Amino acid sequence: MAVIENPDHASGSDAPTRSWYENIAPGWWVLAVIMLFMPAVANDFILFQVFGWTFILGMIALSLMFLAGYGGMVSLIQMSVAAMAGYMVAIFGFSGISDLSLGMPWWVYLPLAILIATIFGTLVGALAVRTEGIYTIMITLAIASAFFYFTRQNYGIFNGYTGFNLVVPPQLFGVDWRAPMPFYYLTLGCATLAYLAVVYVSRAPFGLVLQGIRDNPRRMAALGYNVVAHRIAAYTFASIIAAVGGILLVWQNAQVAPGTAGIPAVIDILVIAVIGGIGRPIGAFIGAIIYVVLSTFAPDFLFSVGLSAERFNLLIGLGFLAIVFFSPDGVLGLWDRWQERRAKRGDPLTGRSDDGGNPL
Amino acid sequence: MNVIAIPKPSNGLGSVSSGNALELRGVTKLFGALAAISDITMPVRSGERRAVLGSNGAGKTTLFNCVTGDFFPTSGTIRLFGEDVSRFPAYERIRRGLRRTYQISLLFGGLTVADNVYLACRGVSRGRFSLFRTRATDPVRLRVEELIAAVNLTEATDTLVSELSYGQQRQLEIALALAGAPRLILFDEPAAGLSPTERRELINILTSLPGHIGYVIIEHDMDVALRVAESVTMMHNGRVFREGAPEEIEDDPEVQALYLGHGEE
Amino acid sequence: MARFASRHPVWTFIIVLAAAVFLWLIFAPWSAEMEETLGRKRIFLNAIFGGVTLGALYFLVASGFTLIFGLMRNVNLAHGSLYLLGGYLGFEISEFTGSWLIAFPAVFIIVALVGIVLQHQVFRRMDGEDLRQTMVTIGLSVVLADLMLWYWGGQSYTIFAPDWLSGPMTLPIISSIRDSGEIVYLRYPAVRMAILLAAIVIGIGMWLLLNRTRLGMFVRAGVDDREMLAASGVRIQYIFLAVFAFGAGLAGIAGIVGGTFQSLSPGEDTRFLLASLVVVIVWGRGSIPGAAIGALVIGLSEQLGLVYAPTYSVVFTFLIMALVLAFRPQGLLGSAR
Repeated sequence: MAVIENPDHASGSDAPTRSWYENIAPGWWVLAVIMLFMPAVANDFILFQVFGWTFILGMIALSLMFLAGYGGMVSLIQMSVAAMAGYMVAIFGFSGISDLSLGMPWWVYLPLAILIATIFGTLVGALAVRTEGIYTIMITLAIASAFFYFTRQNYGIFNGYTGFNLVVPPQLFGVDWRAPMPFYYLTLGCATLAYLAVVYVSRAPFGLVLQGIRDNPRRMAALGYNVVAHRIAAYTFASIIAAVGGILLVWQNAQVAPGTAGIPAVIDILVIAVIGGIGRPIGAFIGAIIYVVLSTFAPDFLFSVGLSAERFNLLIGLGFLAIVFFSPDGVLGLWDRWQERRAKRGDPLTGRSDDGGNPL
Repeated sequence: MNVIAIPKPSNGLGSVSSGNALELRGVTKLFGALAAISDITMPVRSGERRAVLGSNGAGKTTLFNCVTGDFFPTSGTIRLFGEDVSRFPAYERIRRGLRRTYQISLLFGGLTVADNVYLACRGVSRGRFSLFRTRATDPVRLRVEELIAAVNLTEATDTLVSELSYGQQRQLEIALALAGAPRLILFDEPAAGLSPTERRELINILTSLPGHIGYVIIEHDMDVALRVAESVTMMHNGRVFREGAPEEIEDDPEVQALYLGHGEE
Repeated sequence: MARFASRHPVWTFIIVLAAAVFLWLIFAPWSAEMEETLGRKRIFLNAIFGGVTLGALYFLVASGFTLIFGLMRNVNLAHGSLYLLGGYLGFEISEFTGSWLIAFPAVFIIVALVGIVLQHQVFRRMDGEDLRQTMVTIGLSVVLADLMLWYWGGQSYTIFAPDWLSGPMTLPIISSIRDSGEIVYLRYPAVRMAILLAAIVIGIGMWLLLNRTRLGMFVRAGVDDREMLAASGVRIQYIFLAVFAFGAGLAGIAGIVGGTFQSLSPGEDTRFLLASLVVVIVWGRGSIPGAAIGALVIGLSEQLGLVYAPTYSVVFTFLIMALVLAFRPQGLLGSAR
């Protein structure tokens, strides 16, 4: 993937340069249209529960993908960062627990929640990045567990086992943002922004340096890069995305509790990212839609084979194992290999093979 | 052959000063009970071109690793342009003008030649954390093109490193070392595995570097080493064995006894 | 240890001083003023002994985990699931046979077999791909947890200790002195003391195995440098099998122990996995003494925290971990760069 696109070199200096929107494959435009007009054809449940949840989980998985795919650091703290942001919204804003919620205005508690969650994520990053790569999973999992147990034990701030309920978005511009259609657009907008940010940054110095550090940290240090600082900065960037996802998640559930960031939820984010494909940003959303669809329709499937709806985790676990065994780069990996095989088979008319398209 | 255009550092330290570019004093590195290098004292003047020779296991690469900061010395001090950098992390040393090439190319196989050089240039310039993509008019990009031209890799600018020939990869290693404003370069066996033509090319590149850039070169190939160096340090079993001008070392009977048959084609 | 003392005189002094204070607190009778400030000595003693016996339990789980990680670089995140599986199986076997003791070898063998199958069929094919192996263990933990939930349900199970071990035993430690001058000794559940003794015996046995046998030598060499071990011609896969099986079996019988003096329920797997993680992070991989010290510290901090600062007991364990990571990322027993 070239850093420095040189359209002049490629097509000769008198060829006109293409503007950015001409460089996007047509499939994306079709997708954009479908997404924008979805409310016309989908019912409230699909909009709110299926798509809303997909965008939210996709964002949190995207933050994991950024760290793992671009940075080579598999971090399990993303869900905890998201939950932290959700808790901060409940604590600094409004909830059903009036003794603990501070009732500040939205333009205070929203940035504050994101800030606190990002600081939390950055601190965890600071602890995790100076060890060998394989320790990152262990350290982040341990801290995520600590966060879970702490929020469950602590009643003074986090209201322990019960958590906070009735946490809803503020009524801005007279819109109830938790109604299905507005919520759909809200989550779609946030997810799109997050996705575009990650794709853009991946080719900016910040992202390129991170990928260089993933591939060869010793070399990067010898080129003048402060490897530790870059890795921590990556956690900061990823935490912002996870924090926004967490706030949306709390609004969707209208509650936040220790279980929001329990170990099953933490692992589910990893599962989503891996199933979709941890190497590319779109993988996070592919994994999320698979997870959400499974979660929504698995009860019917399980029932039809005589199992209880509770065996959803078993399905997810088996699916995850299958992916790790047969296609470690996830569904995207399967797609890539299928494309390659199709390209190699060549054009039936002329017998020429194609090179395969550029992955995003 | 024109001198490769490499900018002098902007803080005026580019002139060949009387100070030492590199000064090792009593540097020792222990790995457990094994002393890889013992009590190395080695001054290198600004702009000096020195070769470090010795058989395998003499401690040459360990010496380089200590200087670049891959690990800290067990004892002794390392001074870079007068500053004690013994406990500095690698990137601090690089930003003070130190560069290094590796015996086995440490390149980014999945990126193009241009990207590799870009990373090297970015590493010693501002904007490492920038969230904005580099514009076409950014001066860093121009430097990238110049550097690629300086090592004669222009035709391969957009080739993936994994598709380069061995010799081209070694050329790229050198381009990376020339990024930014280097003041002292450590070359670790740059001639290893090169054909005679490529070796001549290498000697040309090395000898046409501007005068303010010094280098220390580890080499097995005495021929290359003696042609590009003005002084030689000979190491044996982790210690400095001999020092002097190339001709002296070549004619030294003890050196010849130790390395019988070494260096002649 | 002598080397540590000579290199870090200040730390050694502090540690010895702390240990001396600790021992004095345990063995000396407390005055009335002390009891006012620190609470009753009996509560303190119960917390200490609770912490030590809990530490013994954590040790059984963490030692297998640290060996597996140390030698095979496999972060076995299903280790907690093996613990819980062992516990449930132990419950079934002891109910079925009526004997508590029989459950131990039976569960050890069964869970060790599970470990052998996993190592031979799954992990061996991914040798060298550390991250992929870890992902597999994550998937396994999810699947195992759900299977166990399906079969045994969500309620708590307790395994009953045999009659000859149930009930308290009297320890030669002064709990309090009555006004009449009569000394009250501490009474503590016999089964817990038995477990503690067993854990110590197992720990010493493991240490001896690692440091005095050829197999142990290979394992220690492999922990230091796996490539060298492979290059030395030793049948490395057999060693991996042995270590994984042993670690798994140990986790399994730890499950019986945990089921006896605590209880078994979904979620316990996470708790014991967590303890193992913290032990390895703080005390280094592949070290039995490290696992022992680490488990003891975690057990003590958890119990003392529960008694004296209930809402923050979790924080202590993690504070220790965070401090170690901040100042000595290579762990307390690791070697600096």
